[in-house]
Amino acid sequence: MSAEALLFYVFALCTVVSAGAVVLARGPMTSAMSLVATFFFLAGVYALLWAHTIAVLQVLVYAGAIMVLFLFVIMLLSMTEPEPAMKLNVARVVGALSAVGLGAALIASFWKLPTQPMGWAEDSARAAAFGTLKTVGEIIYTRYLLPFESVSLLLLAAIVGAVVVAKPRI
Amino acid sequence: MTLPDLTAADLQPVLPALVLAAGASVLLLSEVFLTTASRSHLALIALGSSVLAGGVALATAFEPAHAVFQGLAVQDPFSSFVTVVVCLGLAGVVLLSADFLKQRQAERGEYYALMLFAAAGMSLLAMSAELITLFINLEVLSVSTYALTAFLRRGPRPAEAAFKYFILGAFSAALFLYGSALLYGVTGTTRLADMVGPLRTAMHTQPWLATCALALVAAGFAFKVAAVPFHMWAPDVYEGAPTPVTALMSAGVKAAAFAGLVRVFLFLGRADPEVVALALSALAVLTMVGGNLLALPQRNVKRMLAYSSIAHAGYLLLGVAALFPHPGTGVLAATPLMLGSPAVNSADAYKGILFYLLAYTVSSVGAFGVLSVLERHADGDGATAWDLDRFSGLAQRRPGWAVAMAAFMLSLAGIPPTVGFMGKLLVFRAAVDSGLLGLAIIGVLASAAGAYYYLRIVVYMFMRPAPAEGVLPEKYWATELALVASAVAVVALGVLPGRVADWLSQSGMFFGTR
Repeated sequence: MSAEALLFYVFALCTVVSAGAVVLARGPMTSAMSLVATFFFLAGVYALLWAHTIAVLQVLVYAGAIMVLFLFVIMLLSMTEPEPAMKLNVARVVGALSAVGLGAALIASFWKLPTQPMGWAEDSARAAAFGTLKTVGEIIYTRYLLPFESVSLLLLAAIVGAVVVAKPRI
Repeated sequence: MTLPDLTAADLQPVLPALVLAAGASVLLLSEVFLTTASRSHLALIALGSSVLAGGVALATAFEPAHAVFQGLAVQDPFSSFVTVVVCLGLAGVVLLSADFLKQRQAERGEYYALMLFAAAGMSLLAMSAELITLFINLEVLSVSTYALTAFLRRGPRPAEAAFKYFILGAFSAALFLYGSALLYGVTGTTRLADMVGPLRTAMHTQPWLATCALALVAAGFAFKVAAVPFHMWAPDVYEGAPTPVTALMSAGVKAAAFAGLVRVFLFLGRADPEVVALALSALAVLTMVGGNLLALPQRNVKRMLAYSSIAHAGYLLLGVAALFPHPGTGVLAATPLMLGSPAVNSADAYKGILFYLLAYTVSSVGAFGVLSVLERHADGDGATAWDLDRFSGLAQRRPGWAVAMAAFMLSLAGIPPTVGFMGKLLVFRAAVDSGLLGLAIIGVLASAAGAYYYLRIVVYMFMRPAPAEGVLPEKYWATELALVASAVAVVALGVLPGRVADWLSQSGMFFGTR
């Protein structure tokens, strides 16, 4: 097993475990901190995929900015008491079963993946440019100009919408 | 890597969206700089931008179709006509909103700006031919509509509606995104045109993965168009939102989401037409029957119109299914009722879908318009505000409104001589032509059942006495204008659909890459 594969399994396993902890933890603060850990390990997986820029942005934006907001909300709501354990009822059982079914279907669908590796390690020109800030920037401003501009429209609409929703009463 | 050359001419296809976004910016800035007591100019700016954008889109509708922005979007007659329909609906909704908001002292530039943002997203969504672009534009229109739903939060119901819409909308966006990611994983591209070939191979090598991806994308769209069994959010959200916003949801959002759905599945459906056509047919049957049956017991007219909007999504899905050839694979196409060999004339099917979208837009904007004038400011969000009794004896108190509402109801029910009848005729004919006779028969039966709850309103308006203590609802010129315009459109397009139907029959969809 190469060092890369070993790192991948470490990151992937830690991502899954900490993501599970987000859902299963009793206290909201524990969940939030597990989410931070998930973001960090996921950033590791991105780095292994040659996507350095996304790995850095993942840590900066998600683990940094968005998690701070999460923690603010949790502290403002001051949910110190853990919620009582969920009771079983028909809807929950059906919901759990369909979630498990969907998960099984997705896992089954991944069963037959293509086997040939992409062989990028040999392609030095591609390896040097791929995933760097320069390449990503060039692509965003040229080939993906239309979605990029749509994102600015989306952000403006979201800001205006957030102000509208935050107003106590119109 | 070669950098593409961008010139001003490349911006021309997105001009309608640019006009709408510019109008929204003017509205937002006018809130800062124009602090006058009267705020009637807001509605005028919004109306002007929507009419201008619609005009621009109509002017470009007959140009040859081509791909724009390196194949991320296409400009074809189909996308231009969807933009025209969206702008038409938006103009009607703005006219309804002007008085609705003034009555409630809630005229704000943000409201109209969000509507224009939503319309810009709809126009771009109709053009998108690439999954990232498509998803972002879908979000532009969704985010704006979520905020509009929460605009007038007087009482618990609107807040609940907005929250429900937001959570379920985010959930459906996640489904769509998951499906898109799987599609990218299967095919290695996000451009729909490049996706067809690899997807066709993947349907044999990784059938499960490819089918899962298509199903997730379809589920995301089915949420947006409120197709059964993804319709649960629609009645509560439609009821809780301010009535003009509900009109925008049923007219604009539905048209744009359908445009996206048609484009995605016409591209991807070529990889495996049978599976896609079967899925669309099944959704169409469930939605047509389910929507109409659920609407039957409703006394609350706003809720009834929400279920009716679900049913109309079903007829439109039938039109989409008619775009695929059905060599005996449809659910009911293999019955002895099937006629000869099916030959798809896709021009007819496109015309059917677009004409139906137009018909539904004018009829539902009008119907929600009458609902919004009958709903009094003092009612708050009480459930009685939209009760069937509100319509008792409307013919004696406000004969003009009663006649207009009767026209809208007949049109929604699909009874001649209205535009709704022409729309249904075109859609059902396209379905029969492509070998979906069984589905078309189910559609006709379902709409016959639907006639019951539409005509019940007409009966209440013309044959029930007016309540003794009833307050006469007031008249406002902008709302009157919207009602008159949509009533005239409903009848005129129903009697003489000629010119418009000719335009729409030129609408094809572009499948190339440049």
